[in-house]
Amino acid sequence: MNKPLSFFLFVFSACLCNAQMPVQLAPPLLKYETVFFKHTTKVELKFAEAGTQIRYTLNNQTPTAKDQVYHQSIQISKSFTTLKAVVFGNGFLPSETVAVTFIKDGLKVKSVTQTEPAERFRGDGLNTLIDNKGGLSAINAGTWLGYQRDSVALNIVMERKQSVKSVLINCLMDQGSWVFLPLEIKVYVFDERQQSFQLAGEQILPATEQVTGAGCQPILVGLSKKITAEKIKIIIKGIQSIPEWHQGKGQPGWIFIDEIKLY
Amino acid sequence: MHRRNFIKNSALGTVGILYQPDFFFKENPLLGHGNKRYRLDTKWSQADVAKFPVNDCHEMVQDSKGRIILLTNETKNNVLIYDKAGKLLTSWGNEYPGAHGLTLFNENGTEVLFICDNNRHQVIKTTLDGKVLLTLDYPKETGEYSKAEEYVPTETAIAPNGDIYVADGYGKDFIIRYNSSGRYLNHFGGRGTEAKHLLNAHGICIDQRNQQQPCLIITSRQQNAFKRYSFEGVYMDTIPLPGAWVCRPVIKGDYLYAAVLQTNTQQGKQSGFVTILDKNHKVVSNLGGSAPHYADHKLEEMYQTIKYFQYPHDVCVDDEENLYVAQWNSGKVYPYKLTPVI
Repeated sequence: MNKPLSFFLFVFSACLCNAQMPVQLAPPLLKYETVFFKHTTKVELKFAEAGTQIRYTLNNQTPTAKDQVYHQSIQISKSFTTLKAVVFGNGFLPSETVAVTFIKDGLKVKSVTQTEPAERFRGDGLNTLIDNKGGLSAINAGTWLGYQRDSVALNIVMERKQSVKSVLINCLMDQGSWVFLPLEIKVYVFDERQQSFQLAGEQILPATEQVTGAGCQPILVGLSKKITAEKIKIIIKGIQSIPEWHQGKGQPGWIFIDEIKLY
Repeated sequence: MHRRNFIKNSALGTVGILYQPDFFFKENPLLGHGNKRYRLDTKWSQADVAKFPVNDCHEMVQDSKGRIILLTNETKNNVLIYDKAGKLLTSWGNEYPGAHGLTLFNENGTEVLFICDNNRHQVIKTTLDGKVLLTLDYPKETGEYSKAEEYVPTETAIAPNGDIYVADGYGKDFIIRYNSSGRYLNHFGGRGTEAKHLLNAHGICIDQRNQQQPCLIITSRQQNAFKRYSFEGVYMDTIPLPGAWVCRPVIKGDYLYAAVLQTNTQQGKQSGFVTILDKNHKVVSNLGGSAPHYADHKLEEMYQTIKYFQYPHDVCVDDEENLYVAQWNSGKVYPYKLTPVI
């Protein structure tokens, strides 16, 4: 094919693609009060646009045009159930996938005290981290404790001394609002014989990559050996210098947490 | 043609149209609900992008000659002036790097513009062809500001008597009121926990639809609401718009139009649409958004449904009820035009 002709065909097909490029649907609205639950919880999906269907899965797979169509609210009873949903409609590109993970209550916690959060993000009271409320991706949801500092300490006292296998911390990532995932979480258990806190588990998170939009990220820290404990201390380290690609480069990022669970 | 055949053929023709696949109309799709539905034209602007580029297209107004005036923070040409068909007529302005708010006011028969510049921390009053008439610096008279950088004005509204209201929507969220010559009168709003406070007071307009009780409508964008105040700044009530990051209110006839920059649950993801409220402050149509639904007189959360827009930032309604939508951070696109479908 000679050059002018192939160029012409390229331009022609590019124009054609442009003219017929279908528009994408937006994802459905997920309606739930909180992702944390004691026994069961319910989630609703909404999408008020004629000629479209919401399809969803509960098996962590991305929904396809063959998956079940949403008709009524979904009951969740199993911990760590992830709901994924996509909107399909004739003549439109399917939406992005939206996902939410529901988390069941853990061991009984008597109290949590934590580093004083920033004035604007004080959650919804003293027990913010153990009230089974949260998992909402808006920074202004009123359920988040927000910190712009290098580390945050949580001191947990359990109802009684018992075996603990893992610790879950629910964090927010919303880079557009300068909220980043922690870089490191360390869990310490109070050793009565030594009368001091001993390291029992840690999680180092991968380097911060650029992500658009906001979402919750539950981080599970497994404890290294079988631990019996009554007092636990968690130290969360945040991003001290925002990466180059961000408008806030070089400045400290924010850490947002709304719930902790012990299992 | 035999008459019977003619009827048969035309009936087939009708069926043919009804069964056209959906993408047939995608070039100019139909948006909205009820009696507020529009056909979208994304190629309205005929401006040559090489000569007259735009950056963020922030706001648009129409003058009495019917021209559409666009404000962009592209300093090659901060103001582009079009006819309604999208032909670029003229341009001006190189000194507004933070060009954001654009308001037109008819001052005793002469039209003037008010530009809010985020970067210059100033409000500038100009003629329609760009001659500067008045500059308002940061309002130290209020006692709320210690330096210009704390003041980031986003919008102005001009009362019938010429009083100038400035919304400090990216600064401290105060509304500062001046008389027509720029003398400080009072201020209100600001941040806080009471209903009278504002959070991201991004827009303001004068509402004279109820002649008995004209008022100000002010955006509290991060609270997903409009709030009404008297001309003196006394808080009246709140119009909740759950889920919607509404930009400035724009009133034309009985209706209020507003660009929704993005939705609460899809922040940072080009989730904008355009919302239209009737004179009872009820949402009647969303262009590219969810069909408005009220349960027990309460508006349910709104959201984008079809990605026709990325980040709409303003709506201009012309004398023929056409809409023009300017967008922020949306790949430097020129405004779109929407024509009403009757």
